[in-house]
Amino acid sequence: MTNARILGSLRNAFLFFALITVLFPIVWVALASFKTAPQLNDPSLLFFEPSLLNWRFVFEAGILEAAGRSALVAGITVTISAIAGSGAAYVISQYKAGGAATRFGILAAQVLPPAVLVFPFLTLAYVLRVNDTLLPLIFAHLSFVLPVVTWFLIGFFDSVPKSLEEQARVDGFTRFKAFLLVVLPQVYPGLGAAIIFGFTLSWNDMFYGLILTPSRSAILPVAIAGFNTFRGVELGSMSAAILVAVIPVVIASFFIQKRLVQGISGGAVKY
Amino acid sequence: MTSVRVFQFRMLLPLLAVAAVAVGLPLFYALYLSLTDFSLTQQGPAEFVGADNYVSSLTNDGLWGAIGTTATYVLIAVSFETVLGLLIALSLQKQKWARDITRAMLLAPMFITPIAVGLTFRFLLNDQLGAIPQLLRSLGVSYDFLGSGNALFTLAMIDVWQWTPFMVLLLLAGLESIPQQPMEAARVDGAGAFYIFRRITLPLLVPVLSVAILLRSLDALKVFEYVYATTRGGPGTETETIQYFTYQTGIQFFRLGEASSMAFILLAIVLPLIIFLFRRLDRSAHR
Amino acid sequence: MGTVTLEGVHKAYGNTTIVERLDLDFPDGSFTVLVGPSGCGKSTTLRMVAGLETVTSGSVKINDRDVTALEPKDRNIAMVFQNYALYPHLTVLENIAFPLRATKTPRREARVRAQEIADSLGLGKLTGRKPKELSGGQQQRVAIGRAIIREPAVFLFDEPLSNLDAKLRVETRSELLAIQKRLGITSIYVTHDQEEAMTLSDRMVVMREGKIAQVGSPAEVYGSPNSVFVATFVGSPKMNILRGTLDGTTFQTPEGHSWPLVSQHRGDVLVGLRPEDLLLTADPAGPATITQIELLGPRAVVSLQLEGTKLTSVVEAGALQGLSRGGTVSLDFRLGSAHLFDPMEETRLPG
Repeated sequence: MTNARILGSLRNAFLFFALITVLFPIVWVALASFKTAPQLNDPSLLFFEPSLLNWRFVFEAGILEAAGRSALVAGITVTISAIAGSGAAYVISQYKAGGAATRFGILAAQVLPPAVLVFPFLTLAYVLRVNDTLLPLIFAHLSFVLPVVTWFLIGFFDSVPKSLEEQARVDGFTRFKAFLLVVLPQVYPGLGAAIIFGFTLSWNDMFYGLILTPSRSAILPVAIAGFNTFRGVELGSMSAAILVAVIPVVIASFFIQKRLVQGISGGAVKY
Repeated sequence: MTSVRVFQFRMLLPLLAVAAVAVGLPLFYALYLSLTDFSLTQQGPAEFVGADNYVSSLTNDGLWGAIGTTATYVLIAVSFETVLGLLIALSLQKQKWARDITRAMLLAPMFITPIAVGLTFRFLLNDQLGAIPQLLRSLGVSYDFLGSGNALFTLAMIDVWQWTPFMVLLLLAGLESIPQQPMEAARVDGAGAFYIFRRITLPLLVPVLSVAILLRSLDALKVFEYVYATTRGGPGTETETIQYFTYQTGIQFFRLGEASSMAFILLAIVLPLIIFLFRRLDRSAHR
Repeated sequence: MGTVTLEGVHKAYGNTTIVERLDLDFPDGSFTVLVGPSGCGKSTTLRMVAGLETVTSGSVKINDRDVTALEPKDRNIAMVFQNYALYPHLTVLENIAFPLRATKTPRREARVRAQEIADSLGLGKLTGRKPKELSGGQQQRVAIGRAIIREPAVFLFDEPLSNLDAKLRVETRSELLAIQKRLGITSIYVTHDQEEAMTLSDRMVVMREGKIAQVGSPAEVYGSPNSVFVATFVGSPKMNILRGTLDGTTFQTPEGHSWPLVSQHRGDVLVGLRPEDLLLTADPAGPATITQIELLGPRAVVSLQLEGTKLTSVVEAGALQGLSRGGTVSLDFRLGSAHLFDPMEETRLPG
């Protein structure tokens, strides 16, 4: 019995330590966002008079506009991905449409290093005179969000029995109606998770944002990087900017935990 | 074409259309770029130079250095993430109370935009402003996190902080999908916890483990934000990862043709991994 | 009206033939069961009638209308799947009413009709529930309700009872039959369970390897199987098959056992004997040994070993006197009950 007890306490201690490790930087940043410059010089200052200086500075510098742009890009990207992806995922899953080649293409497009596609996007943007706008960014984000959303959905459609669609067809519906009215509703939770996950991926991207839209229409992560100077005085505002970026997605992440694994592995691992 | 085929095609069409524009077109254009001497600062039109870019890239010590650096980075980061992830997953599996909230909190780091993580650690580890060096100093330890010899390891640890949760997520799901009976049978037969783990749990976990490790490795080798946030490739070229090196060639030196060739070389290296991952996923799904 | 005609229906994938040039008629109002071992093509045939599988060649006609090229929705059929395929996101009422959405029936009317049907199936109080809150038997009735509401020409059933436990299966069987008789809709039912086939059908189609082995009423198929395959497939416990020779008055096995058997046929033969026609008498000098006695209430199944052959006999519980495991018995054939089969072709022989 004591053996199990010891293991149990070890386990709890370990998890506690892991939690501290995870929360510590986040809490530290949160505190830093409320500290003034002199307060920041003492890193371990825990109890202090909070100040909204950094927050005001960051809002005036346009952080909300940057967040708005991030949301716009992510929103458009995810909407297109969801619409194009659900129909495709459905036939890929239930009809094996496109075969292994299509599924491989979707996987490869997800894990493709951005370095491969970014230069063409940049060049084409210059040629079409849309450089430093959000348009090339949307296409760039589509290049990885669409495959991810589709991949996610394939995993969820895999769990829907084929007989459901057949029943609907026998009951008098066309294949498309059967998909829309019967099969798609079964994966609504998975679709929700895919959309949130896709949104997060787009929201978090900095590489494409930095290269394609560096200044005028900078998205949030790029704006955050803008606070990165070698002068420590920007730390407070940077922390506030970081929190603006982090809080929405972390909260959203709480809602999709259960579906994440099935989606990420494309159905290979089910929760 | 039969009606089934027509239906399948119509459903795939939107995806194919978007993919053609967002992935296919750029991919071919990148290939074209890699065969020219295109440069953003050049005045005249780009000239076709065939394999010249590839030759110069393949003989570029900087590129090979970057490949080596990235390989080291991935090796360190993913190893730590796998071991830690497994330990955390095992602990979480057995946890009784406040399970969901613990899990939710532990998974939070992977949703933070990487640049924020990089910048946070940059300051957290900063000598004057960072809490961690202050803590170490109070214990009498002095460690230059981003200095020569340590920088790459530190960056790998940042990766570990952010992405161990990803491993935890997959491994926990894998653990929970393992049938309980073999383990119960073994316990009835008198086997100890460690033996059960080594001989039963671990082998059954191999499919999920390999998928997780592959996915994570493919993602880790794209590391850019941490480098950009902290060392910008330094000290020297110690933390010049492939994506950062390519970025520099293309954006800082404007040599897009050359940068594209480097990207394709990277792609060639990565392709076998993707194929391997694909095979693994296929096998798990069709069990 | 609901007649179904299959003419030369053939299904093949490359070199593999699943169903071979099937010709079959389903009269209006009949209840036909397609039965056979796994892989015999019964499900494929059903799905071709439904339109869920394409026909490689041949034609399917419903009410003399060629539907071979039509989608399932245009064939005026209803189908019940093995797992009932109830729509999980809809309530019982919505499930039953769902097919009416395709015909653009107004919502109110659809709901009223669905409620009527639910009531007639004993589901009246459950209409607000979702499928996962129902028991297996209730789910099955919802599936049937959904099939009924369209008033189709043909009912198709793909092993709908396989998911139920034995007792429920028997109860639901009789309910199904009652509904079909009441509505008079032509039904085609697929099962691998020969007992189910026997009880439900007025016409049985025994299939094997994509071809029809025998068509007939249950009594015909049971009483006059046209091949060893059908004879051993239908009826449980399985028919006993003995190899030997006939000389007009006796049947003799190679080991030398013989029984009186009058026949017109001479020469090598396979004799089939249903277990209930194999009579046992306790006999210390008997040729067969009892290896097992399984008491099934009013009857017992007695397993025997005769030299190298295993035989089964069914004995009334009251007649078990003197019979015990390990004991020896002598065997008798019930008069006129022997089935004769050609040893090479394994087809029925007259006489």
